[in-house]
Amino acid sequence: MRSLSIAATGMQAQQTNVEVISNNIANMTTTGFKRQRAEFQDLLYQNMRRVGSNSSDAGTIVPTGIQIGAGVKTAAVYRINEQGNITTTGNSLDLAINGNGFFQVTLPSGQIAYTRAGSFSLNANSQVVTSDGYLLNPGFTLPQNAVDISVDASGQVQAKIDGQVNPAIVGQLTLANFPNAAGLEAIGDNLLLETPASGQPVTAVPGSTGFGRITQNALETSNVNVVTEITNLIQAQRAYEMNSRVVTTTDQMLQSITNMK
Amino acid sequence: MENPIYVALSRQEALSRQLDVVANNIANMNTTGYKQQRMLFQEYLEKPARGERVSFVQDYGLMRDTRAGALQVTNNTLDLALKGDGYFTVETLSGPRYTRAGNFQLNDRREIVDQNGLPVLDTNDNRITVPDGTTDLKIQGDGTVMADRAQLGKLKIVSFDDQQQMQTLGGGLMTTTQTPRPSANPQLTQGAVEASNVQAIVESTVMIDVLRQYQMTQKLVDEEHDRIRNAITHLAKAQ
Repeated sequence: MRSLSIAATGMQAQQTNVEVISNNIANMTTTGFKRQRAEFQDLLYQNMRRVGSNSSDAGTIVPTGIQIGAGVKTAAVYRINEQGNITTTGNSLDLAINGNGFFQVTLPSGQIAYTRAGSFSLNANSQVVTSDGYLLNPGFTLPQNAVDISVDASGQVQAKIDGQVNPAIVGQLTLANFPNAAGLEAIGDNLLLETPASGQPVTAVPGSTGFGRITQNALETSNVNVVTEITNLIQAQRAYEMNSRVVTTTDQMLQSITNMK
Repeated sequence: MENPIYVALSRQEALSRQLDVVANNIANMNTTGYKQQRMLFQEYLEKPARGERVSFVQDYGLMRDTRAGALQVTNNTLDLALKGDGYFTVETLSGPRYTRAGNFQLNDRREIVDQNGLPVLDTNDNRITVPDGTTDLKIQGDGTVMADRAQLGKLKIVSFDDQQQMQTLGGGLMTTTQTPRPSANPQLTQGAVEASNVQAIVESTVMIDVLRQYQMTQKLVDEEHDRIRNAITHLAKAQ
């Protein structure tokens, strides 16, 4: 009975679906989180009667063949890079990207990671770091006696230094963009890595063509929509139940065979 | 004499294959662009002796329900749903393949590709490359791809004379020997995908039906077995 294994593929696929949805819901309030979606594809087909084959010497052809599918597989779990909402926090080192692009962060290994989560803070050397202490790249160091810091939409960082009239320019932020941002590899901690699928990063100052702008004192919330996720969850659960019904039905059919006299 | 058992067996074999088809429909309940399938049965007449007729059952075909599935809004720029008939054309090494699954992406060369990474073709059979720095990608109802108001090309949306003649390959792809003709009036929706058109309730009832019929046929086999055994014991006694 093929239907047993077909239903098993269906249950596995729906399990993946529930896992993806629960991860979305769990990260509902994670800064810069992008929701994911599981995509399914039908598996191979077995030709029992090939469509279009001849059914007689007179050249008549089979109008509809028999192709029995082998179930379903998870084709992809991809990130939907839709803009999240921007919420103001009042913290001067909270930066939100309004549009495309990623902040670049130097990992302890020296590798560059990419993030949309702009909740930065200062470390002991007055350098700008992520909440895990990784340096922003290109970063900036706040002067000793700076009282205020402002970041404009195009990423220029100015500091108001005590005793000086004009604010001093202390840095310029850049954003990285990818041909296929959905192809980045997530490594947790809101960080993403470049892959062959994502393509090479292109960096530019915020606000240039194709790049987003910076909003200071604000953060980008996750783009998870709870209502959609819950309805997807219900759908996935029902689909799971239906597949388990197929298993039960197949089992009952097998049972009636074993009970054969 | 054993004909009734064989007739029942032909039904049981067909039913077990029908359950495979139902199971595949249910497994693909959430597969983008999937079309539900139905088994077709016919009577197969055998004439073992003069004046005798035994009819077996045969599953002679599988029909794809080509009705459009429900639109599922995703708000993803490269998710496209086709309303009405028509197929997207993708490029493979073995020639064009057709699909209804419009959940496309960009690859590392900024070409529009499907979930298998196969490039989607435009009306001139070229791949569609979205220029670097595009902020606004619009795909119009007729398949015209616009990047920042500049036209990049038009998606090749094709129709076929007989959709039932198309062969499913898995991965949402289909192939056929028929010549595609441009779809007369394609209707595309951006930011949505076409959900599968499997109707859960119908599949459940079909499944129950299959099970009960299978058990009934089983019963028939059992009864027939008893009848033969009775006949043997009684006829042996009569001797």
